[in-house]
Amino acid sequence: MVERRVSKVIVIFFIILAVAVSIFPFIWMLANSFMSEDQIFALPLKFWPDKLFKKGMWDNYVEAFSNFSFGRYTWNSFFVSFLAALGQIIVCPMAAFAFAKMRFHGRRAIYTLLLMTLMIPVQVIIIPEYYLMMKLGWLNSYLPLIIPSFLAGAFGTFMFISVFEAIPSVLLDAAVIDGASAYKILWRVYFPQATASVATLFIIAFMNNWNDLLRPLLYVIKPSLFTVTMGLTRFQNQYTTKWGLVLTGSVISVLPLIIVYIFCQRYIIENQMSSGVKG
Amino acid sequence: MAEKQKFKWHSWATPWVLIFPTLVGLVVFRLIPIVSSLVLSFTKWNLITDPKFLGLKNYVDLFTDPDFWKILGNTLKITVGYVAGSMVFGLLLALLVNNKIRGMNFFRAAIYMPVITSSVAVGIVWTRILGPKYGILDFLLKKIGITAPYWLQDPKLALWTLTFVQVWKMAGYYMILFLAGLQSISHEVIEASIVDGATPTQRLFRVTIPMLAPTSFFVLTVAIMDAFKNFELIYAMTMGGPQNATNTLVYSVYLNAFSYNRVGYAESIAWVLMVVVGALTILNFFIKKYWAQPLE
Repeated sequence: MVERRVSKVIVIFFIILAVAVSIFPFIWMLANSFMSEDQIFALPLKFWPDKLFKKGMWDNYVEAFSNFSFGRYTWNSFFVSFLAALGQIIVCPMAAFAFAKMRFHGRRAIYTLLLMTLMIPVQVIIIPEYYLMMKLGWLNSYLPLIIPSFLAGAFGTFMFISVFEAIPSVLLDAAVIDGASAYKILWRVYFPQATASVATLFIIAFMNNWNDLLRPLLYVIKPSLFTVTMGLTRFQNQYTTKWGLVLTGSVISVLPLIIVYIFCQRYIIENQMSSGVKG
Repeated sequence: MAEKQKFKWHSWATPWVLIFPTLVGLVVFRLIPIVSSLVLSFTKWNLITDPKFLGLKNYVDLFTDPDFWKILGNTLKITVGYVAGSMVFGLLLALLVNNKIRGMNFFRAAIYMPVITSSVAVGIVWTRILGPKYGILDFLLKKIGITAPYWLQDPKLALWTLTFVQVWKMAGYYMILFLAGLQSISHEVIEASIVDGATPTQRLFRVTIPMLAPTSFFVLTVAIMDAFKNFELIYAMTMGGPQNATNTLVYSVYLNAFSYNRVGYAESIAWVLMVVVGALTILNFFIKKYWAQPLE
């Protein structure tokens, strides 16, 4: 019994260590955003932020929001990520329903092609995609950030194929006998059965788009259209050594996602657990 | 997949309407770009004038360029370091958080948090932590009498520092994958080993880890694929420097295409990447059949 208690203490010790290592950089980010430049370049280093709860506490934030329009960037990111994620939760269940419940010519071939494209690194397709966006006249707009994610969501399609396959087909038979159309069966019967997956896919797509850097870097040149991740890199380039400001920008860019994460972490982790079991 | 229906409950056109957006996405944003990038890798192009056909010249240039071999070497080193690091830490963390302790959901969520935050912000804060002289790590090391090296400025070290940050960011992800594997091991097997008098160490190495073989293989393949995804981190932390020390295949595609205007050349690098990823995917497919056998 004593042995068991000792081993439990050791386990708790290492878990707390792991948690500390995982969240320390975020705490340090936050702490730095309340430090003056004097403190940042003072030795020996002081851990407690000198401006915290004092006059000028929000100076870095005021500067980030006024000189560099971080408010605007955050809104842009929200807008782009929301639309891209919304597209995925409409388009992916549609395709998945056809793959899971219907038979049509070319079904296997399209399924296999879709599966193969899952693995392809974005760098392989980005140059022709850039050229296409240029020819369409979509540079400097949000369309290149939204449309590819809207239409090419293979990950979400596979997620919904397994969700729909797990729903007993009695449900389908009953709806068919009631004379419901295929579209009605999808949106009124199957879609509502999969709300947890809809939420999960929405959150994952939202986060991926929020964190994406390559596409905003290529497609958006006008500062008023910057996403927050993109704006942050520009901010970093301009204020290389102004750590207080740069880390304030970092806090602004990660905080909305962390808040969403705190409320939705159960969905994200459970979805990942199930993908792990299936292998 | 689809079960046979006794009668037609939808017209022939219905599935096509449903997959139409996905099909457009597949063709316009995946298939056409993949084929175009292969074709473009045989040309000289700057995105504006017409591409000029060069034959294999880009590939010849690439394979005779010492920088390319350095970049390929960097990519392989990161891959090895990342895969080893994320598997070891992923498994250790999973073993830790698989215990029944109050508040475990909170601990898991906290360890997972770096996975969901942007690589750019992560890269910035780690650059600050690892910064020379004023960085907190150097400060703490100095307290115990160690003079810290230049983590990101030393060409010999920068690559490994970058790999460490990438592992730190993604460890929670592999933890969850291993945790799913651990929780799928049946209790009967574990209990049987306890009844047979196995010590905890024996149980770990003789029962748990062998039972995790299929999970480990899955994690291995996921980790190899993820190892290439470090564009954002490199952009935020080192920009490929110092002296190309942290330049990788994905980063040099970007540099060549959008900084040096050597689009055809960039595409040939992209296709080297594509071949590497394709080979790994096929290898995975064949080995998976072997692993998919039940272990009993």
